[in-house]
Amino acid sequence: MESTEIFERVVKILTPYVKNQQALDSVKLGTHILDDLKVNSARLVDVVLEFEDVFDIEIDDDDVDKVETVGNAVELIEAKTG
Amino acid sequence: MASRPIAPLGPAERRKLALQRGVSRWLSPIAFPLIAIALRYGLGYRIEGLRQLRRSYRRICLERDGPFMICANHLTMIDSFMIAWALGSPWWYLRHFSSLPWNVPERSIFAGTAAMRAAVYVLKCLPIERGGSRAEVMRVLRKLAHVISNGEVALIFPEAGRSRTGRVNLESAAIGVGRVYRSVPRCQVLCVYLRGDRQVSYSGMPVRGEVFRGSLALIEPKTDQAGLRGSRDIAQQIVARLGALEQEYFDGRK
Repeated sequence: MESTEIFERVVKILTPYVKNQQALDSVKLGTHILDDLKVNSARLVDVVLEFEDVFDIEIDDDDVDKVETVGNAVELIEAKTG
Repeated sequence: MASRPIAPLGPAERRKLALQRGVSRWLSPIAFPLIAIALRYGLGYRIEGLRQLRRSYRRICLERDGPFMICANHLTMIDSFMIAWALGSPWWYLRHFSSLPWNVPERSIFAGTAAMRAAVYVLKCLPIERGGSRAEVMRVLRKLAHVISNGEVALIFPEAGRSRTGRVNLESAAIGVGRVYRSVPRCQVLCVYLRGDRQVSYSGMPVRGEVFRGSLALIEPKTDQAGLRGSRDIAQQIVARLGALEQEYFDGRK
């Protein structure tokens, strides 16, 4: 899967959880999920579980802690989908 | 072998925690009785069935066959103090210091000034910034897993904040609780429900002269799910048990 496609699907998954619509409109790989998009940290788990379902992958607990930006999520999913 | 949900604490942080415990061991005999006196006589709080609660906790602590953590409902900013007071007398904690729970207060509220930071340090607190940097949150979770593994007791609020509805929020299970639990082999969870009779919703302080009632349930949640789903499943089971204790509380008041 192309990273652009992963990026688009990641943004789509994130959208319902985003509180800062302005940041979402200009989202890029470096956009911070908690600080910029203002996703509630408690809901980040739901986001990651959706990544698992949508991309049919399993994400380790340790890997979850590395997901801070949209780019981190895309890289992680790319690595898992191989 | 599957990775542990939380990595072990490093040597430097273990030493810092041991130092904090040592300082607290010496100073909490002064601090904790003062807090208990303030709660009882300054604010006029009373806990119905206090003896029974303390007897139950004492039995759990003395007869336990492994580590446990306390998970409680959360409605006011002094719940940690109230729960510690409900579960043991200052004198009993003097002899059973490991049973005085570590707490995880919100940093912005309880550790804003140097004096407050000193107080929370002495009172076995590990301040956390809810919704803060993930690395920082993980550092606190690692500390919690470490102290629990070492036979200490830690108090965590699995709803990750005071319930805005005034009732246990079954939808708000903090996954960190599940991660801590799964990181400590043979861990059990002591669910504690404590509530003031006039506590309608969440607040800063309970009303003066409030009467509290509490109940305990020792559980050992199990899950056959892995990773985050497993941690979430555990956290949801804990919150569900608190919800059941809450139901018993309201049924008992009818």
